[in-house]
Amino acid sequence: MFNETVLKEIDEIKARYPDERSALLPSLYIAQKEFGWLSPKAMLCVAQTLNLPEAMVRGTASFYAMFKHKPMGRHVIQLCTNIACMILGAEKLVGFLKTTYGLEPNKTTADGRFSLVIMECIGACGTAPAMLINTDFYDNLTEKKIEDILGKYK
Amino acid sequence: MITITINGKEIRLAKPTTVLKAAKEAGIKIPTLCYHELLRLYGGCRLCVVEVERIPKLQTACTLTTADGMVIRTESEAISKVRRGILEFLLINHPLDCPYCDKAGECELQDLVSKYGPDAGRYKEAKRKVPESHEDIIFTRNMERCVLCTRCVRMCESVQGVSALTITERGGRSKMEPFSPTSFNCEYCGNCLTVCPVGSILSRLYLHSYRPWQIDREAETVCPYCGVGCSLVVQVRGEEIKRVVPRIGVGLNNGLLCSRGRFGYEFIGSPERLKRPLIRTTPKKQSTVNSQHSTVTELFREASWDEALNLIADKLKEIKGIGFAGAQRYIEDLLGQGITANLISGLKHSEVIMVVGGDPTAVNPILGLSIRAAARSGAGIGIIGNAKGLLRTSRGKTLQIIPPAFKEAEILEYLLAEVYRIKGPRRENHALEQRIGKLSEKPPKTDVAGLGKLKDMLLGSGSVSIVLGMDVVQRTDGHRALFAIAGLTYLLEARLYLLSDRPNEQGLIDMGCLPDTLPGGRPLGISDFRRKFETEWKGTIPAKEGITLMEIIEAAKDKKIKAMYVMGENPVFNLPGGSYIKEALGSLDFLVIQDIFLSETAELADVVLPAFGWSEKDGTYTNLERRIQLLRKTVNNTSGMDDWRIISSVSNKMGYKIGYSGVEDIMKEISRVSPLYKDMTYSEIEKGKCLWPYNGEPLRGVISDIPLAEKKTHEYNGSLYLAPERVLFHSGTLSRRSPALRKIAPEPTLKIGVHHAEKLGLQEGDSVTVSTAWGSINVSVSIDNTIKDNKVLLSNNFEGKGVFSLLNFSIDKITKIPGTEGCEVTIKKL
Repeated sequence: MFNETVLKEIDEIKARYPDERSALLPSLYIAQKEFGWLSPKAMLCVAQTLNLPEAMVRGTASFYAMFKHKPMGRHVIQLCTNIACMILGAEKLVGFLKTTYGLEPNKTTADGRFSLVIMECIGACGTAPAMLINTDFYDNLTEKKIEDILGKYK
Repeated sequence: MITITINGKEIRLAKPTTVLKAAKEAGIKIPTLCYHELLRLYGGCRLCVVEVERIPKLQTACTLTTADGMVIRTESEAISKVRRGILEFLLINHPLDCPYCDKAGECELQDLVSKYGPDAGRYKEAKRKVPESHEDIIFTRNMERCVLCTRCVRMCESVQGVSALTITERGGRSKMEPFSPTSFNCEYCGNCLTVCPVGSILSRLYLHSYRPWQIDREAETVCPYCGVGCSLVVQVRGEEIKRVVPRIGVGLNNGLLCSRGRFGYEFIGSPERLKRPLIRTTPKKQSTVNSQHSTVTELFREASWDEALNLIADKLKEIKGIGFAGAQRYIEDLLGQGITANLISGLKHSEVIMVVGGDPTAVNPILGLSIRAAARSGAGIGIIGNAKGLLRTSRGKTLQIIPPAFKEAEILEYLLAEVYRIKGPRRENHALEQRIGKLSEKPPKTDVAGLGKLKDMLLGSGSVSIVLGMDVVQRTDGHRALFAIAGLTYLLEARLYLLSDRPNEQGLIDMGCLPDTLPGGRPLGISDFRRKFETEWKGTIPAKEGITLMEIIEAAKDKKIKAMYVMGENPVFNLPGGSYIKEALGSLDFLVIQDIFLSETAELADVVLPAFGWSEKDGTYTNLERRIQLLRKTVNNTSGMDDWRIISSVSNKMGYKIGYSGVEDIMKEISRVSPLYKDMTYSEIEKGKCLWPYNGEPLRGVISDIPLAEKKTHEYNGSLYLAPERVLFHSGTLSRRSPALRKIAPEPTLKIGVHHAEKLGLQEGDSVTVSTAWGSINVSVSIDNTIKDNKVLLSNNFEGKGVFSLLNFSIDKITKIPGTEGCEVTIKKL
């Protein structure tokens, strides 16, 4: 089960909505933060805390790409390769991550430092290519810029 | 009044509905796939698109509400093109394995594609491959055939109320899950099977064993499992039942079934069925007491029908001189005959439902669904005790009160006194009100705040239903709880439902299978009633009341009764008192058992007669609403005999002539002699019109005196007590011989609350010895977090492991029902 702090956090979220079902997505985020990924156990905790059917929690969690269903590295890179980013070289950046860091899509580096997730559009087409590291946003990416940014995440 | 035009046809509607329904009413067919009349609307498949004038885009007929002046076209080139396109898309990943798929022949996708689909698909790429899942014991799940209509998910979520299914992932990777060993609390109702339009959810009971068009015959009949009496269709090939399905629009269950009804039919073809009459060869004294389960050949020899029936007739002539349903009798004495005859559909419309003494979703699952439906639409549910199946999905206005062990009667009496104090008398039933006035208003030692809330809930509503299970009635002071329930029903003008775990229990009561009544519930003591039957039957009916079941057992033990004839009941297994019952029946001079299996009781018999089982005989079942329904024969049994024919033969051989030629003859006699069934005919029952009070006259007397025994003041301070559990997947004799139900629940488990499990150091699945003063058995433990009191529960379903063999009993002096409360138990880990 969740610890007291997490339960309190979820309780606060529950208070914002008329029913528990509305609190499902934010609670899943909290569970993901807590466990690093949405393990079956994490989803069960959410179901029990919100008194929702397990099936509903699992169905919802598996629908959204931002929920992770396997263990992730310490920092999760979410790089967009949709059309605008692709045209401006996102695919080259994927290759760069592979050659420089040994990081392949949907994989984690051997040292557990980074995981790479190929993302659908994150709404930054005007300043493409773009990526998220954890919850931090970066755009106008180049190979050099990525190297600098990743240096900040140990 | 709304006027719309569909395909040039003007349609007048009294009130707005959906375009789809309006078209259906007018006889215009619009193709659908995700739409299902039992389910909430989804509008996902887009096959039902229609053109509506002045709306530029095509609209889905299933979700579009009609408005005055709407002009709709259901067929056009544009619509056909869309439908063709949709079906082409649906087939992109479909394996097109119709020759191999069980659904072919009754597959909605197959029908739609042949009518509206393209001749060929243009998609040349590789199809999505998902291996068929056989992980589940009952269901096969094939996600290549799935069209993602979500009918199964909607059924499970908002009709069954279980939410065991969901669609996981999205887009091209979407699939329905789980149906696996970790299935989320699946109740195995199989209702998803009914609504799946394609071959994605299939039953493993008949997988690849026949085609829908290879059914030789089918018949609409009634389920053999509980007192609800769901209608179902039995489909037979050769002499084997291939499938049992519900039918939408038929019966009170309207397309829904539970696990027992849907998957519990295999007992009828069980190799253990009795095939020939049996006559005892081993003297009883040696075999009964010592042997546990001797084989048939050791105890009996096969005999011809003639020999067996002659023996019975001779013995009974030589010996000369031969009960149940106390709870309903007691309540009807207080409030009038028929007070419990309420329609199950009424539950859905109740504002408040109070549930006492059992879990309706396990005892009478289809009735339980109505309570879940009421809860979903905002009704308040007040549970006294445990009703696990209602806690799972109903939320919000659900209140649970956990009484101290075996003290439900006190809580109900307090509740009644409080309701009476606030609401005042109704002034219709003086004797009842006088007795209510004498109840103590002292609150019991329990959740007083919760009781206050329950009281407010009951008083604040104009539409209350009370659902009563047998758990509070099978008590030495069971009549106290019954009196309180009767009082609450009277004061709140509530609908009362008595859960009934046996089919046609009500039919037996109505036929006068009670010690003190004649058919139609007419009292035996009144000579005018007796005379009518005496004239019809040309004999004398004793004026003295008979004795009740437990009194019969006692009389057998005391040798006051020398012979007994038991039909379709298994007292050794189904009555509390364990070896006491066995001893009592063992001391009879002559015991005849008429059954479909060699039951524990049959092992004590002198003659065993193989009867016809459900689906092998015609007749009627009366359900707990007092709805009379036809039971129809679908399977031929060449070795057994109809119950009525056996009784007639014995009677004829004893010298009293009975000349029925069939069940209709018997019905004719019933409608002639019983005032309750006046003028009833088979064709009327067939039409489904036979609801209480039929055409007959119910009996309504005036009560002057209410029998009440003195209060018991026993305190239950022991650490753990054993109590019977009523489970969803079993019902004893029939279900334990149904392989599918045995796969779902293979063996009994001892249910124990989290707290006590921890105290005893028990883990899920541990083997333990459960012992009471009456015996002990070995079972495995299952931890149940809904058990919050100091009871452990064991069911009475499996051979040699029934809870009643471990329970003592003492008789309620008023209802004559054996009470089994307060049986202390010790649990030892093996």
